[in-house]
Amino acid sequence: MADPALLPEFFALLSVDIFLLLSLLTCLLEERFPKTLPYIYQIAALIGFGHLLVSRQFLDQFGEYMRFWYNFFYLLVALGNIVAINLYLALEKDLWALAKAWSGAVTFPITLIAVFFVSNYSYLQGMEFPILILQVGFVVSAIVLGVSMSIFLSPDLLDKVRRRKEVNRWK
Amino acid sequence: MEIKKILFRKEMKLLTLLLTSLLIASASATIYYSLTMQPKVTVSTPTITFVSGAPDQPSGSTVNNAWAFLTAKSYPNATLTYEKALYINNTDSGSPHYFRLQHVNITPLNGTSGVGNWTSIKFLVYNSTSYVFSLNYTVSSFDWILQPSSGATSYYSVPASGQWWIRLETRSPATATAGKVCDMQISVDVKE
Repeated sequence: MADPALLPEFFALLSVDIFLLLSLLTCLLEERFPKTLPYIYQIAALIGFGHLLVSRQFLDQFGEYMRFWYNFFYLLVALGNIVAINLYLALEKDLWALAKAWSGAVTFPITLIAVFFVSNYSYLQGMEFPILILQVGFVVSAIVLGVSMSIFLSPDLLDKVRRRKEVNRWK
Repeated sequence: MEIKKILFRKEMKLLTLLLTSLLIASASATIYYSLTMQPKVTVSTPTITFVSGAPDQPSGSTVNNAWAFLTAKSYPNATLTYEKALYINNTDSGSPHYFRLQHVNITPLNGTSGVGNWTSIKFLVYNSTSYVFSLNYTVSSFDWILQPSSGATSYYSVPASGQWWIRLETRSPATATAGKVCDMQISVDVKE
């Protein structure tokens, strides 16, 4: 087995950072969110920190496999929160522009990073993990990120595509 | 009133959250770093192992994967040869591994009269076809002369799944006293 470059606890560390990022972003956009949300995310990050602190003492008792799954579950919770905020902005608040910006700037880049590290870890450790799903997720996230960035850099792009479609329809 | 206003301003909230975030992130990263620095010792089977050389192996010997205890004899004025006293196996089927023989300890000690009960004790290593290298103890007056003189041979590569063997040769002078014992300790250093 290759020397592990990543420990399963890396996913907990990544999740803590995601919660902290969410806390700061929800504070910046505090008019659109409940007032307590940034603090709830800070507490979620603190729970992750506590989990890292405590689990350090029990590394021998829990095997590598179990450590991976409980850290991965925590990461899923963090990613779930990002998606939930995206849906909240889009469906609950009807802030479509902000929801699109959120998905391009937060949801997909973070999903891309998470999928990259999970697939890298599962490859190195020989974990029985659905690699195909990870790879598909990786490609989809990369495509969405690329499209979002190109739209962000030239906002006329969508109009141009729409116009070309209409011209083709008339032909 | 003014202070309360300042405290509840968005910038203040953001600054507080930023500071606590930095604190939590750096503390978490420190814990993760300390986890990566924890040494791990995993019990595993050795790649280079000893295998019994029976029926050529000296009787009364004990051979284990990781160590071997040989109880050889020596005859006065005659060379006694254990052709395949011990096998050395590379259990790795994927890649070759290097090993060497190194002298660790021998009694009787140099300068004592007991040394005169032996002429030579030789450990010759053979691969599947021919002689490769050896670690020899020869006696000059009452001193052991090691060959190589450093007490350690060079490293030699055993091919993947290869099996080599050690030929043990002992010889005593005609004047040797029966029942005298020579204890030797040799290490087999393996580059994994």
